[in-house]
Amino acid sequence: MSGCGLFLCSVAARFCRAPAAFTVSRRPLLTSPPSRAFAKDLFLGKMKKKEVFPFPEVSQDELKEINQFVGPVEKFFTEEVDSRKIDQEGKIPDETLEKLKSLGLFGMQVPEEYGGLGLSNTMYARLGEVISLDTSIAVTLAAHQAIGLKGIILAGSKEQKARYLPRLASGEHVAAFCLTEPSSGSDAASIRTRATLSADKRHYILNGAKVWITNGGLANVFTVFAKTEVVDSDGSVKDKMTAFIVERDFGGVTNGKPEDKMGIRGSNTCEVHFENTRVPVENVLGEVGGGFKVAMNILNSGRFSMGSMVAGMLKKLIEMTAEYACTRKQFNRNLSEFGLIQEKFALMAQKAYVMESMAYLTAAMLDAPGFPDCSIEAAMVKVFSSEGAWTCVSEALQILGGSGYIRDYPYERLLRDSRILLIFEGTNEILRMYIALTGLQHAGRILTARVNELKRGNVTTIMETVGQRLRDSLGRTVDLGLTGKLGVVHPSLADGAHKLEENVYYFGRSVETLLLRFGKAIVEEQLVLKRVANVLMNLYGMTAVLSRASRSIRLGLRDHDHEVLLANIFCSEAYHQNLFTLSQLDKHSPENLDELVKKVSQQILEKRAYICTHPLDRAP
Amino acid sequence: MSWAQAILLARGLSRGWGGICSTALTGAPFSQVPPQAPRGLRCSAAAHNPDSSLVPRPPEPPRRPVKALAVHEELFRPALDGTRDKANFVQAVQNFAQYNVHKRGHVDFIYLALRKMREYGVERDLSVYNLLLDVFPKEVFRPRNIFHSIFLHYPRQQECGIAVLEQMENHGVMPNNETEFLLMQIFGRKSYPMLKLVRMKLWFTRFKNINPFPVPRDLPQDPVDLASLALRHMEPDLSARVTTYQMPLPKDSPDTMDPTETHIVGIQSPEQQSALARHDPARPIFVEGPFSLWLRDKCVYYHILRADLLPPEEREVEEIPEEWNLYYPMQLDLAYGRSGWDDYEFDIDEVEEGPVFAICVAGAHDQATLAKWIQGLQETNPALARIPVVFRLSGSSGELLASSSELEEPPPPPPEGQEEEEDSQQRQQKGQS
Repeated sequence: MSGCGLFLCSVAARFCRAPAAFTVSRRPLLTSPPSRAFAKDLFLGKMKKKEVFPFPEVSQDELKEINQFVGPVEKFFTEEVDSRKIDQEGKIPDETLEKLKSLGLFGMQVPEEYGGLGLSNTMYARLGEVISLDTSIAVTLAAHQAIGLKGIILAGSKEQKARYLPRLASGEHVAAFCLTEPSSGSDAASIRTRATLSADKRHYILNGAKVWITNGGLANVFTVFAKTEVVDSDGSVKDKMTAFIVERDFGGVTNGKPEDKMGIRGSNTCEVHFENTRVPVENVLGEVGGGFKVAMNILNSGRFSMGSMVAGMLKKLIEMTAEYACTRKQFNRNLSEFGLIQEKFALMAQKAYVMESMAYLTAAMLDAPGFPDCSIEAAMVKVFSSEGAWTCVSEALQILGGSGYIRDYPYERLLRDSRILLIFEGTNEILRMYIALTGLQHAGRILTARVNELKRGNVTTIMETVGQRLRDSLGRTVDLGLTGKLGVVHPSLADGAHKLEENVYYFGRSVETLLLRFGKAIVEEQLVLKRVANVLMNLYGMTAVLSRASRSIRLGLRDHDHEVLLANIFCSEAYHQNLFTLSQLDKHSPENLDELVKKVSQQILEKRAYICTHPLDRAP
Repeated sequence: MSWAQAILLARGLSRGWGGICSTALTGAPFSQVPPQAPRGLRCSAAAHNPDSSLVPRPPEPPRRPVKALAVHEELFRPALDGTRDKANFVQAVQNFAQYNVHKRGHVDFIYLALRKMREYGVERDLSVYNLLLDVFPKEVFRPRNIFHSIFLHYPRQQECGIAVLEQMENHGVMPNNETEFLLMQIFGRKSYPMLKLVRMKLWFTRFKNINPFPVPRDLPQDPVDLASLALRHMEPDLSARVTTYQMPLPKDSPDTMDPTETHIVGIQSPEQQSALARHDPARPIFVEGPFSLWLRDKCVYYHILRADLLPPEEREVEEIPEEWNLYYPMQLDLAYGRSGWDDYEFDIDEVEEGPVFAICVAGAHDQATLAKWIQGLQETNPALARIPVVFRLSGSSGELLASSSELEEPPPPPPEGQEEEEDSQQRQQKGQS
């Protein structure tokens, strides 16, 4: 379990670096330590092959250990958990929760010294595949440890860890993460919950209401974010966010009745109110006034696991629907013989394969020694997998036809459950902004000198750029060294690799153009940012599948030819998508409909209604 | 014959005609009826003085003595109970057709009827117009050969037909197929009324919805309803709330003379509310007005509550807090912004104006009434209590008062001499605070 130690230190490192990345005044170009960011470099049209090739492996021992662990959990989930009942009753039975605790699933990432399993990110992802067989349980566990107690692991002091982690890891206490408020989703400035220091300076008095708190009704330990008054370095008093560890026993903590939700109905979501809750000053998580960074780090760290979870769910889904398609007869033929049905299976398999590859690649990056800042990658995994889940479950429902719509079958439940994936842990729209903006910030800094020269009209730079563009337009072959003699991609995937290289190169060009065109005003261009994020996701997915399929071929894993097929399909599709998206990023291309789209929505929003007259209306 | 052909031909006709008899018709295109549209008998006869017209005169009906006019007038005598409605009008038209089998004097009758329509309240009724057109004898005035159609055939009748269409146009009545069919029967395809009809059909549909801020055709009679309609008409923000601060006293109450007891209706959007809350209490805000707003034929006077524009050095620069968005950076740390070649905006000099915080429509324009409005506003805008309010009421409404009896009576002009006068009540409040 060496991964966990590394993980901790990586977290610590990220903590030190976080301020640099988010303060505006300093120029972190000089201060930031060498990062091993793969995705960020794609923005420059470069690939750091070493980061992603070859596909990461775990050692034989680790693998054995994981499998030993996964076995009983899987058995438990397939045999004892009744997802349908959980969904209908809106509650996870106590005995199920007890069993989960005894399996140690409440402390998967808690270090071993505090009584947890101390799993590395890779192993956590592997276990997530199994846990996701019941979405309600998966969400409950994720709220407990991916966000609920993550703050203590990431930012807690030794005493706080010793005090809270053992009981949280054993499941004796359940944790919840209290950030969202009625007036504040991702807007930290509008948080109303307030903590004021008591007269004796030994307590904070906490007051406020939090909404949509998963585990809010079960939890004994809350990570609460509240505004506190902080004296700035220049002597002025400012409101800043601070994170607190709040026990239910502190008093004044009440929760509303569980919300009646569309999906993940077994998980407990409710409002939590704090009324004059006295929180000892020792329970401040991190620094006073440092709550923003704590929250950001917690949120950024938890995302990658969704990839493997959704992949696990999809694998199960493919099994179930394949069973149906091969037995249901229409016109004396099995459903499986129809092309339109086959297509759906290919799609599901492809999505599952890609998100699995992305998830494990990211997990391995996070486990790697050094200072991995993989928040972009993790966000990409989250966005890709949540959207994949939604499309695949919807397609599966389509295969089932009417039966999919009936409550007797699990499909409609999966559909309802998977809808939340696009919303929580940062909606996909917000994460796309994050992906694009973080990368553009990185690229923008590096390109600053070049852009400035271009703007100033430096003849050499302009000629260089024009020449480059000219060569590009004449059809250059891009070679980033993925294939060839010292290539990292297997020759049977060379086609996909070339496509990836081409896409990466032109993506870099597009980013440069965008920065030149918009500069820092690109923050306002959300349609552009969305496309940048989409291209990047495709690039990352292509990289992951190429890397994984190459490894499978080299090792001669079973059915690697199937993987090659999936990889080739995905690379081809993603390549064409990327070409289209990149052309949409071009201002004058006919594909770019941004202006029209904006105009339409503006007119609608002005009237707050659908504008067109009814088709049956007449002029006179 | 297709419409297009008809239009082309008609256009040619009108052009040709304009050249021929520009002296006679003062150059006006033929489809346009001369400005004095619902003309009287004498007027019409004068325009077609046989000496000044090249057109072969239509068979002149026997010279009508003044008595004949009286005959037609008689048809429109009010009914016994004095009501004038559609049924009476239709009856009158039918009576004409019934008692006048030869349709003698139908042109005069139609002109008369057109003038009477408003009195009977049928000026927007398409079926009545069709009924009027039906008075024309059919097939008589149709051109029989090409020369007929080149030269105005039966000009007086054609002009009368155009006058009917013109009045329809003025009241926004779109002709229907029946109208077209009637005109075809009466004047034939190649005639000026037909040309007018075609043009109406083409342009009416296009002009009908040309106003992006449509006003309902029938305006509410109740002043409070009218006021809220006017306020909604002016306020672009759909979240804005209309508040009735004071209802008018019922008409039969003895105090109707008291001008302060009129209606006060105001509108304010949430954004205006928060802007007012942020307003610096040291700077006064102004009640200005009355300004006029025309809704169809009614005039509404309104007042605004506004402040002066802050001088540039005092304006708060909206800055992005450092720790704002939990999920993505709200600004990029880059030295360069948007390039010039991406800027397609025209260079427009925009005059910046101070913020408007609320609008109100009141029945009276004196300071006492408006002070009540400010009082009412204070309930939702507590900040208003601390801000000095200056009343800048201009004497005249800035609009010519409508003299015609057709227009609704506008509210009495506000009393004079209130400019730059500070509300004593506000002063008191200022003293208290």
